[in-house]
Formats: sequence, C-alpha cells, structure tokens
Amino acid sequence: MNSFLNWTSIFICFLMLLTMLRIVAGPTIIDRIMGANVIGTKTTVLLVIIGLIYGREDMFVDIALAYAMLNFIVTIGASRYFMHHKNVRNRGYGIRHRKADLEEQK
Amino acid sequence: MTALIARLLMVAGLFFFFATTIGILRFPDFYSRMHAAGKGDTLSSLLLLSGLALVNLAGAPLTFDNILVSLKIMAILVFIFLASPTATHAIIDAGYASGIEPWQKPGTSKEGDDDLAV
Amino acid sequence: MIWQFDIILLTLIVLCALFTISIKDLLGAAIMFGAYSFLMCLLWTEMGAVDVAFTEASVGAGVSTILFLAIVHRSTRRVKVRQRGRIFYKGLGLTASLMMGGLLFYASSDFPAWGDPLAPASNHVSPYYLLHTLADTAVPNVVTSVLADYRGFDTMFETSVILTAGLAVLIVLRLDGSRTGGPVRKMARPIAKGYEDTIIRFISRAMAPFLQLFALYVLAHGHHSPGGGFQGGVILGATFILLAISYDLQLVVQTFTEKTALILANIGLLIYSGTGALCLLLGHNFLDYAALAKIIPGATTVTARSDGIMMVEIGVALAVMSIIVIIYTNLVSDGTYEKGL
Repeated sequence: MNSFLNWTSIFICFLMLLTMLRIVAGPTIIDRIMGANVIGTKTTVLLVIIGLIYGREDMFVDIALAYAMLNFIVTIGASRYFMHHKNVRNRGYGIRHRKADLEEQK
Repeated sequence: MTALIARLLMVAGLFFFFATTIGILRFPDFYSRMHAAGKGDTLSSLLLLSGLALVNLAGAPLTFDNILVSLKIMAILVFIFLASPTATHAIIDAGYASGIEPWQKPGTSKEGDDDLAV
Repeated sequence: MIWQFDIILLTLIVLCALFTISIKDLLGAAIMFGAYSFLMCLLWTEMGAVDVAFTEASVGAGVSTILFLAIVHRSTRRVKVRQRGRIFYKGLGLTASLMMGGLLFYASSDFPAWGDPLAPASNHVSPYYLLHTLADTAVPNVVTSVLADYRGFDTMFETSVILTAGLAVLIVLRLDGSRTGGPVRKMARPIAKGYEDTIIRFISRAMAPFLQLFALYVLAHGHHSPGGGFQGGVILGATFILLAISYDLQLVVQTFTEKTALILANIGLLIYSGTGALCLLLGHNFLDYAALAKIIPGATTVTARSDGIMMVEIGVALAVMSIIVIIYTNLVSDGTYEKGL
C-alpha cells in the first residue's frame, strides 16, 4: 500500500505541474484563478496522502480541512474582484500610459 | 478486500484528474475549461478522498481512532462537495460579468447570440 | 522524504516564484503568490513540520492573499515600468540577487546533514524539551508547549506585535470622515445591489458556523494535534472575511464593530499578560504557570501548566481574530468602512 500511495502522490504532483502550464499561459487572468483553485484542491488531497504515507494521518487531516476552507475563501474573494473591475485581459500593462487611458481604467 | 476497493476508488480518482488536466489544457474556451476544472476536479477529489478514507481503515484494526480519522476525511469530502461547485459558480459569474465571449467554431455563426453583448 | 515527489514539488515552487516576479499584472502576481504559499505549505508538511505548515496555510495562503486582493482592488493593477535606465536597474537587481543567492548557497554547503544528532540545533535545549515536555506540562505537542510555556515571553510579545500591526493600519488608513471631507454616511445593508448572489450567500451563511466550530476545535486541540492559538484565531478571522466578501462589508462592520474588535484584541493580550501577572501575585515568577495550581481546584503543578497554556492560547486567538478583521475592513474600504470587495 505504501508504494501505491507513493506513486499516487508523484502522479498527482506531475499533473499539478501540467496545470501550471495553464496558469502560465492563460490568456485571461481568470484562467489563472481557475488553475490556482485546482492546485489548491489537489494539495488538500496530497496532504492527506502524505499523512497516510508517514503513518500520522490524524495530524494531517486537520491541516487538510483548514486548507480546503482557505482555498475556497481565496477563490471567492478573487472572483468578487471582477464584479467591480471588469478587465480580464492583460491589456496594456507594463507600458507607460497616457492620462486618457488612466481615466478610462477608473 | 477493503484495500482493493480503496485502490479502485483511487485509480478512478486519478483517471478523472488526468482527464481534468487534459481538459484544462486543451479546451479552446474559458467556459469549457471551467466545466472541465469545476466538475472534474470535484469528482476526482471526492473519489480520491473516499479511497483514502478506506485506505486508512484497511491497514490497521478497526479502533475508534481510525474510524474518527476516516470520519474526518469524509468531513473534508463533504466540505469540498459543497464548496468547490460554489467556487466554480463564482468564477464563471466573474468571467461572464467581465464579458468574455464564448468560442465559436470557425466558420459557423448562429442568430440570437447577441444576448452576450455586455 | 520521497525524493521524486520532492523534486517535482521544488520545481513547481521555483516556477511559481519565477512567474510571480515576472508577471506584469499585480492581481496575477497576488494570485500566483497565493499558489506559491499553498505549495510551500505542502513542502513544510512533507518535511514533517506540521505546525509551520498549518500556519503557512492559514496565514500565508489564506489571509495574506485576501489582503493583497483588497489592496489591488483599492489601488491599481498595473505595474509602472520605467523606460530610461532600464538595463542599468535590471543589471543592478541581478547582481544583488546573484551575490545574495551565491552567499546563501555557499553557506548552505556548511549545513549539517538532515537530522544529524550532533548538529547544534539538536543539542542544547532541544533534547531537554523533547524529553521533558510530557513530564513537565502534560502537553504532547512540543511546539505548543515550547511556544506557550518554555518560551512564553516571546509569544506574549508576538501578540503585542500583532496588536501593533493593527494599530499601524488604523493610524495610516482610518478616517473619521469620508475621503472628500464630509461625514461618513451610515449605510443600510445590503449596499452592493447587483452583486447579490444567492448561492454564494447561502453557502457562506450555512458554512460559517461550522468553520468557526472547527476553528475553536483547532484552538482547543492544540495540545494534542497541530494547531493552537494563532491558527485558530486566523481561521476565526477568515470566517468574518468570508461573510464580508459574500454579503457586504456593512454586515461585518455593523455587527462586529470596530470598538468591539479593539476591545476584544486588548482583552486577548490582557488575558495573556494577566495570566503572567496572576502567577506573579501567587508567588512564583512571571508566566510560571505552576503557580496556578494554588487556585485551580484539584490541579497538580503539571496540569496547572497545561491549563495555563490553554488560557494564554485563548488570549492569543482573541487578539489575532480581532486584528485580522480590523486589518481587512480597513484595507478593503480605504479606512472609510463604506464599500467592500
């Protein structure tokens, strides 16, 4: 059972690495928020797996529950941001802006 | 016997997570990627956590401590079952409110798609 | 320590960090920093440091990311890139980080092996704490007993530092009037018309009591499992932030008012130093919980120390919860308590 859990954790970690590609390449920022949410949920599962591998699962389950809660709160907060500000594409950041563009952003 | 069921559940969870990852990488549009991420992620987490709750019971004798830990893992499962679809709903609402347009197959266009002009 | 898992995890962390500093969008950088904190929590867990992982998950990945989001909501999302002298400043930054990084790499080659029993960290007081914590304090979790009993002074001053942080935010941001100079309008709730979302509101409202119950469990069970005062207080504060996000800032500001929060924060620190003063009054040293055996009925010196640790953890949790609510409500509304995220 231990080697099965080892390989499961390595496989999940590898798939999280693939999800990172979406975070890096997402054309809009909401793609990145979605990728961060998936990584957060999978880390919860990984915490329980690590607890079972080490044999001290009673400690790690508390951390996993708190982690799941905070992942949820961060995702809700990040989505709420876009109710107020509606610019999702990385449009025109990093260059010097004219005053008219600054007014349009407000 | 319990170990066998646990392994089956975990392999199913891994399969769905693999499908989720491929969906996130390969779908052409934000909304379809969010379908893959929201549903596939929740289902794979549920299957993996059920399998892990059984793995915990499989190795050792059935004492109160082990049952308590498995119940806690099921509590995480219930929380993810409630919270992850809500987070998916919030993200898609944010995307819709910001005016992301759905992907159309190139070469086709349908009438009645103007209700997305935000 | 599974080495393949370690390698992939460290690759992920380095990628996250590189992407955070190179993205030209402050909101994206805040989200990526949250993901980086999540992965750091996993790394601490994999190394066996569960209390540190718990604190990193709750403070670093949860509340810090929300505070960054509140700041970006209030200021701007763009990064100003200077056009003149770009190469010079980039070269300066690169040289500084290479020198610092090179120095750290060189120093890390001098480290003892992992878990070396002859290392200085395992030699002086650590064996005493590890061997005697159960006999002295009846608390199996060594981190809690070291934090609240053997090194109780440091934790008391950490709590006062948290209070100072809340005070700093209040001094810099809090306004009695609005930004334009008039008085603050008293809002009826809900204010954010058009942002009402039944699903999110229902789920947050239904889950908040259970989250708070879990936070109290973390606080009370800190003697036997990872947790304790800080983590429990942060999760309690995070539930208020959840309600403020899903409903409206006015809901939190009008029920958990600023005055209540400040009084609770100070009561928290008062509980901590009050316990110490009580021990002083009973004839022992400051924060020597063995003195409490005289007033708690049916307690020996050992269980009195366990009870003393419990009391100070409650104080820490109260202080941390109130200060997190104060910092969030001030940052997200620019000190005016009018509109939130």
